Amino acid sequence: MKRIWPYLLIGLSAMALDVTRPTNAVAFEPTKPIEAVVHTGPGGGSDIFARAIAELMQKEKTISQRMHVVNKSGGGSAVAMAYLAEKKGDTHTIGFFTGVWVTNPLTTAEAKVTINDLTPIVRLVLEPAVVAVKADSPYKSMKDFIDGAKKNPGQLKQSGGSVTGRDNLVRLVTQKATGAKWVYVSFPSGGERIANLLGGHVQMMVIEPQEAGEHIRAGNMRVIAALTEKRLPSFPDVPTLKEQGIDVPVIPQARGILAPPGVPKDVVQYWEGVFDRFAKTAGWKQYLEQNQFEDAYLKGPALGKFIDDLTVQMREVLKEAGAKVVR
Amino acid sequence: MESVGNLLLGFSVALTPGNLFWCFVGTFLGTVVGILPGLGPAATIAMLLPLTFKMDHTGAIIMLAGIYYGSKYGGSTTSILLNVPGESASVVTCLDGYQMARQGRAGPALGISAIASFVAGTVGVLGLMLVAPPLARFALRFGPPEYFALMALGLAMVVFLAGQSMIKGLLAMLVGLWLAGVGTDLFTAESRFTFGHMELLDGIDFVVVSIGIFAVAEVMINMESRGGTELFKIPKGLRNLMPTLQDLKDCRFAFLNGSIVGFLIGVLPGAGSTISSFLSYGVEKAFSRHPEKFGTGVIEGVAAPEGANNSDIGGSMVPLLTLGIPGSNTTAILLAALILWGFKPGPLLIQDNPGMFWGLVASMYIGNIMLLVLNLPLVPLFAQILRVPYFVLYPGILGISIVGVYSVSNSLFDVWLLGLFGLLGYAMRKLDFPAAPLVLGMVLGDGMERALRQSLMMSEGHLSILVSRPLSASMLILALLIVIMPMVNKVRSFKMKAVEQEV
Amino acid sequence: MATHDNEEILTGICLGAFGAYVAFEAFELPYVSEYGPGPGFFPLWIGIGVTLLSLVLVFANFFAVAADESREHQSRLAIGRALVGWSGLILAISLLHWLGFGLSLALLTVFLILALERRPLWTALSVAFGLALGFHVIFVLALGLSLPSGPWGF
Repeated sequence: MKRIWPYLLIGLSAMALDVTRPTNAVAFEPTKPIEAVVHTGPGGGSDIFARAIAELMQKEKTISQRMHVVNKSGGGSAVAMAYLAEKKGDTHTIGFFTGVWVTNPLTTAEAKVTINDLTPIVRLVLEPAVVAVKADSPYKSMKDFIDGAKKNPGQLKQSGGSVTGRDNLVRLVTQKATGAKWVYVSFPSGGERIANLLGGHVQMMVIEPQEAGEHIRAGNMRVIAALTEKRLPSFPDVPTLKEQGIDVPVIPQARGILAPPGVPKDVVQYWEGVFDRFAKTAGWKQYLEQNQFEDAYLKGPALGKFIDDLTVQMREVLKEAGAKVVR
Repeated sequence: MESVGNLLLGFSVALTPGNLFWCFVGTFLGTVVGILPGLGPAATIAMLLPLTFKMDHTGAIIMLAGIYYGSKYGGSTTSILLNVPGESASVVTCLDGYQMARQGRAGPALGISAIASFVAGTVGVLGLMLVAPPLARFALRFGPPEYFALMALGLAMVVFLAGQSMIKGLLAMLVGLWLAGVGTDLFTAESRFTFGHMELLDGIDFVVVSIGIFAVAEVMINMESRGGTELFKIPKGLRNLMPTLQDLKDCRFAFLNGSIVGFLIGVLPGAGSTISSFLSYGVEKAFSRHPEKFGTGVIEGVAAPEGANNSDIGGSMVPLLTLGIPGSNTTAILLAALILWGFKPGPLLIQDNPGMFWGLVASMYIGNIMLLVLNLPLVPLFAQILRVPYFVLYPGILGISIVGVYSVSNSLFDVWLLGLFGLLGYAMRKLDFPAAPLVLGMVLGDGMERALRQSLMMSEGHLSILVSRPLSASMLILALLIVIMPMVNKVRSFKMKAVEQEV
Repeated sequence: MATHDNEEILTGICLGAFGAYVAFEAFELPYVSEYGPGPGFFPLWIGIGVTLLSLVLVFANFFAVAADESREHQSRLAIGRALVGWSGLILAISLLHWLGFGLSLALLTVFLILALERRPLWTALSVAFGLALGFHVIFVLALGLSLPSGPWGF
């Protein structure tokens, strides 16, 4: 019995050394289809975005396995985020995040997973937005609208989504900066928002440029301001808010990729590599142009800082909006 | 006429072998999907999207649309045979359809459902073709106050669904309205009645409630006596397997009613097909010569809602194709498909792609015919399901219910809710509470509350906005009349009784 | 007082309690928000409505006619059976996570056939097997739906 001890000791030390020695740097490669989690149902913004990217990646062969989209809608982004948190360490799952993933946990107590619990990979785009009115509206510029709102406080109406969404946040910061006041009416679906604008029930709405494009081409809508830092290439004649003298921070609507918590570093590097290559492909550039997205590729510590800054900014704006901030 | 020329173009596109094939695939898949409770056309279309990238776009949209309206044909099957609503729009069909099955008239019920779907579906496509642009512009005049008035009109239908006790009907409706409110408030992002459960943040799914209250409760009722009650009279002979000429005659008004109500409601973005089926049921009952028989197995009670939920599809395509605005969940996915393929849905879609649009319209005519041909012969086959011994049927129905609920959002929590609502439905049956008002309340509650709050947002708190606009005012007055009518009738009959007694 | 009557009154009371609960909870929610009526608006009125109608129900049945005693015994047995069946369903649902859909359905079938229908074991097992197989083939294999799966993959 006594003689076993030294052997046991040697064996245990060998095991300990084995565990601590650096593993062979075999790069990670996915071996089965990738799950791409989105927080909208089929047909929603994130869903379409993810499907388009999955399709493009197939075409450009930037990824060896298929990517299929999994819809985990519910509670804003709560269900999707909880799902990803459950898949801790899973190397074949990624999530497509948007600004909602940052703001939703701030206002919803039941949404227990925050964006800091997940592993950010890359930010892909910033979705610009424009301010649109009906084509026969008397407002030809944002200034006109603001003046109109000042003359009739609370009479003009804007259609938009949830009150914690970008549409309303833009309204709130603009109201604060200009002193004008107008009403916000929530409609859950984009279709209803547009229908109410075209039907004259509301006077203004915030809308993505590619959505507006068709209605403008048909002569139903007019764009009076661009909610971006610089003018949009598709609307060269439309001034930004800043150019029109309204000094408000641009509230970004970012879209990017993240992974479940506890994902090893080499997997993160793999994904970064994939999206590095993907962002350079012609297909991607064409997609950006078609949809008028701003190429906002960002990764690593800069991405982390972006998310932190965004969280702080959102918390501020939401508090001022009177929303109940629970985190 | 321009339309004729366009239609000819459409047929030339739709009648190619390739597109005919896709039409068949779509309608067939749609029927299957419709029969299965829970799994809806929206989810199926989403699942098939990746496959469509490599297809010809016209063929793809023909197939996807086929799934959409095909599912409405199938949706009535389980509603009639098993009291399991295949789809939210088929709930109303359960009311009279299942009763007909219990009386051995499952065949005629299924048959009239297919025929009504065909007639109304065709009318819907006609409407899409002929009146799409002006109707779309009219639909734009519907703002929140009008939607509220429409929902109020829908709720007034409770008068027709309450059966014996108005109080119980109202109570059921209120509970339904409450159920609709569970979840996250759209406007303030506050959560209501979620009891801390994240799964309830998005509210309770309608399918869970309807399958629980109808199907599971029904099974429980049947479990009460060993051997089951003598429910299902197997239809004998071909005559009993199809609607008779008399049946068809009885349903003349129902065909018209279903087609028109369904189409008009479908045009309004955001007004679901469930509302159109309830409304047409109510209209049918209101104009019927024997309203008190509704709910006991009246064939018009099947024809009207089944027609409505088909012509509704033609209607929901109107805003999609003329304005690029989806009219329902499923059309939203069709829109997404179009976007993914690189089309730009909007007012100019038809102008830019006449071949695709008119090809689609023509394919819908063809698809409706295909579906009629497909479904009618299946009726006797489906009716044979009733031959299955009850002790096999009941676990089977429970299994289908679980599958149906689980397939909606892959959540076990929903299945638990199913059990809960099954118990609730059973209690309601034993205590004589009608289920239909609860379902009605649940369907309309969300939309109604939203419309009211949107209207008040617009008017800064003044309720007058609801009556100052002609459209909403007229609908509200109509709703009021509908609610007051039974009371007036009661007073009148009371007076008559008093007069008789005096004499 | 006869039982049928009591039934309705009890129902009324339960509903009244529910209505009061809803109204109470709704009270906690903001009645008015910056954007019009708040989340508490509708539920409050629903709660009040339910409570009031429940009271009407209770009072309307205070003077109702008595029901048949023998029918009552019969119906207690019937309700018992239904509840037994329901608990079988609940049990099956709780097993879904561990045993998967196929097995849980099979167990439920066996339970229902044996306990409620009093058929022979052989019938129960064969139907259970048939149903589970049928469901697996139709829903999982043919349609590709994902159902809860247990340790053996079904």
